[in-house]
Amino acid sequence: MPASPAIDICDLRVDYGDFMAVNDLTLQVPAGEVFGLVGPNGAGKTSTFRVLTTLMEPTYGEVRLAGIDIAEEPEAARRVLGYMPDLAPVPSDLKLWEFLDLFADAHGLGDAATRRSRIDECLHEVDLMPQREKFCKTLSRGQTQRLVLAKTLLHRPSVLILDEPASGMDPLSRRNLRLVLRRLAEQGATVFVSSHILSELAEMCTSLCVMNKGKLLASGTVDEVRRVLGRAERVVQVGLLDREQEAGEWLRTRAGVSEAVVSRRCVRFHFTGSEEEQADLLGGLIAEKFRVTSFEEQRSTFEDILVEVAEGNQKGAQA
Amino acid sequence: MSGGTTCPAWKFWANPIFHRYRRSRLRPQALFTSVLIIVLLSGFLFFIIRTASMYRGNMLPADAERTPLLALLALQGFILFFMGVGQSVGGIISEADEGVIDYQRLQPMSPLAKVIGFWLGLPVREWTMFASTLPFTVWGLWQGQVPFRAWASVYAVLISSALMYHVTAMTAGTVIKNRRAATLSSMFVMAMLYTVMPQVAKAGLIFFDYLTLWPVLNENIQHFLPRDVGTAAKLMNMLNPQVKFYGLAFDNIVFTFICQGGIMLTFATMVWRRWRQAESHLLGKAWAAGLFAWMQVLLLGNALPLIESGMIFPSVSLRSRFGGLYDDKINPTLAEGIAMTGLYGLVSLLLLLVLTFLITPSQDTQWRGLRRAKKLALPRVPRLSDAASSLPFVAMMTLIAAAAWTVFAQAMMGSRWFPGHPLPAHTSLVFLLVLANAALAFQAVLEGWGGKRLFLCILFAGIVPVLMGFVLGTAGDRFLPLAVWLNAVSPAYGPLAAPTVLVPGTGLPLAVSRAVPLSFAFFQGALLLLTSWLMWRLRCIHRERKQLS
Repeated sequence: MPASPAIDICDLRVDYGDFMAVNDLTLQVPAGEVFGLVGPNGAGKTSTFRVLTTLMEPTYGEVRLAGIDIAEEPEAARRVLGYMPDLAPVPSDLKLWEFLDLFADAHGLGDAATRRSRIDECLHEVDLMPQREKFCKTLSRGQTQRLVLAKTLLHRPSVLILDEPASGMDPLSRRNLRLVLRRLAEQGATVFVSSHILSELAEMCTSLCVMNKGKLLASGTVDEVRRVLGRAERVVQVGLLDREQEAGEWLRTRAGVSEAVVSRRCVRFHFTGSEEEQADLLGGLIAEKFRVTSFEEQRSTFEDILVEVAEGNQKGAQA
Repeated sequence: MSGGTTCPAWKFWANPIFHRYRRSRLRPQALFTSVLIIVLLSGFLFFIIRTASMYRGNMLPADAERTPLLALLALQGFILFFMGVGQSVGGIISEADEGVIDYQRLQPMSPLAKVIGFWLGLPVREWTMFASTLPFTVWGLWQGQVPFRAWASVYAVLISSALMYHVTAMTAGTVIKNRRAATLSSMFVMAMLYTVMPQVAKAGLIFFDYLTLWPVLNENIQHFLPRDVGTAAKLMNMLNPQVKFYGLAFDNIVFTFICQGGIMLTFATMVWRRWRQAESHLLGKAWAAGLFAWMQVLLLGNALPLIESGMIFPSVSLRSRFGGLYDDKINPTLAEGIAMTGLYGLVSLLLLLVLTFLITPSQDTQWRGLRRAKKLALPRVPRLSDAASSLPFVAMMTLIAAAAWTVFAQAMMGSRWFPGHPLPAHTSLVFLLVLANAALAFQAVLEGWGGKRLFLCILFAGIVPVLMGFVLGTAGDRFLPLAVWLNAVSPAYGPLAAPTVLVPGTGLPLAVSRAVPLSFAFFQGALLLLTSWLMWRLRCIHRERKQLS
């Protein structure tokens, strides 16, 4: 019997007057996944997150977090939940450790010494230990995001919901965030994350889903989503030391390759195969003794898909 | 995952939200400045008044020690009532402004624990400032030989009043989004409570007086004054030492706690509901109906015993305070009795409209409820849910109000003061018509067309005609009938006019006394037709929405 999903959304609908923000969304996120939620503005991401975090009552629909029905037992659901909102705010009148202690205390994380030790652990994790005694209002945007991430991790939640967690973070902090999220997933936590930086999301997530106008368009691995949305092709550029004409000819004979264009020491082509097939393609080039200097996807065509979706929305609205 | 346990709601000293504010609002530097100012101010008041009484007024030491007590009490009231209220309302709004209120919603604490944490935590500096004035007060009470019962009663009510105002301010903070507007409106309500409400209380609605410190302070005032002045105050208080509530007699302090406890419970429930679910109505439908019935019981219970004694009438009450108590010739006029009956109806109507506003679902909420019911295959939206129509409950409250108003009017007109002016048998029907016309039209417009349309209706049908009527009436006596007709357009005029129509002979000018019943009958008839049409339209709208959902 398969284990119950960590996040189980069934027939979720959210309305604002006549506007339907989320339309009968059904989605399961297995435990231990880093699951991405992607969609243009107005897709229904934030409404979905607000319902998942018990901040908003849906028009109807059932949501279970780690098996807990959030409508029936909101307090129990809040114990297993860690939420980091978009543009994560912090109170201006508290020091960093005081801010974290408020939540550690509310979650009943033991006596003052135990809480202090856990707070320090989380501050270390997000690299804010030197600022421990500073006021929250003195932090930069990226530091504030990291502090709220520390708050989210404090009670070791089994379900994390992160709305644009990397916004405002510098590259180092982003890398750390990815590492933290991966480690949490390895430890069994489920991370549901939204981001507009799609390449980053693809790197961070084990699977994702795409929403538009309140509807779920596709869900699965990045490849599966590409396939479902009918845009499996991507542009690949191969750098070569020599024999680029021959390499171009060879590539044109491969399945999934189209529009191969040869230029100086480089072949650029469209590819519609899976990631495994893409790896095999690189292996084939090397096996054919082509001296490959680089092999890269030039643009995230996944991003193009979303741009097309967003543009479609705009055209629809104008029409 | 966190496996810890959180503190129970009653253990406020272990409440994380209370701790959060204890930390941020009691930082030594800011606290030191505040406390220093208050200690200097209270010390100055204490010493200047005491020294002046002792050396300039040549009072006995025990009398002189009492003299600063009222000034200190006023300062303490200012700190707890005004500053505490400002902080309670402002603190909640800044949490919302900064966006951190969502974090608090997500804390795995019970909604009650959250309410208590904010309630006691937000004004924690004001409580500390209050505490810093106490050494002077304690000295005055001790050396002035103020009896324990007197000061304990006054300070118990001071604290319960402060708690009530703070929870009221928190409610305002959760409803009004603009920080300045919320702070100013809370302080305005405070000022009204201590200035306007006592005047309303003098007109028989003495329930409102018990939301303040006045009744208990007046009862014990002699102990806070030098003994010779206090004796006179004591004599005044002996005139009405206990609260009459129907056939029962309560101590002022007990009745104050009953009134304030009910209000505190209601406001705490409002905040609790908002913590539990951000979009929910401030009050549930059944709670609102129960609260309305309870308020009518309190209003009637206070007012009825005062009718026979005559103390309900401002003329009698005022003259008795100035020595005319034993003058048997003091009789209230019929006009006074009719005006007070009208005032009772108007206050009941206003309370009814406020509660109707709180429990009537917005269009958004109605859509959600209908869609949810459809999805769950329910025959209708559950009657007690926020999304259900408020009509049955508004109708129920209207019946309660009409019944209470009739009881009040019959007690008033059947009293020994107005022989030969009985109320006709159809009084209750007229009262019901007046209240139902206003309340049901209000409910139908709000539920069917929304708050903006309702606001316009109130403005142009409820307020503008009355203002125009006032202007015309002031212009000259010949315009008075026209002014009466204009006033009658407003549904709020109905409760004031109804007793005048039912009990003729109030001594109004002939033209006015002709215009009042005619305009009343005409516009109540028109309102009845309009309300019936609105109800029918609302029914159609409900049906359409059900089909479209």
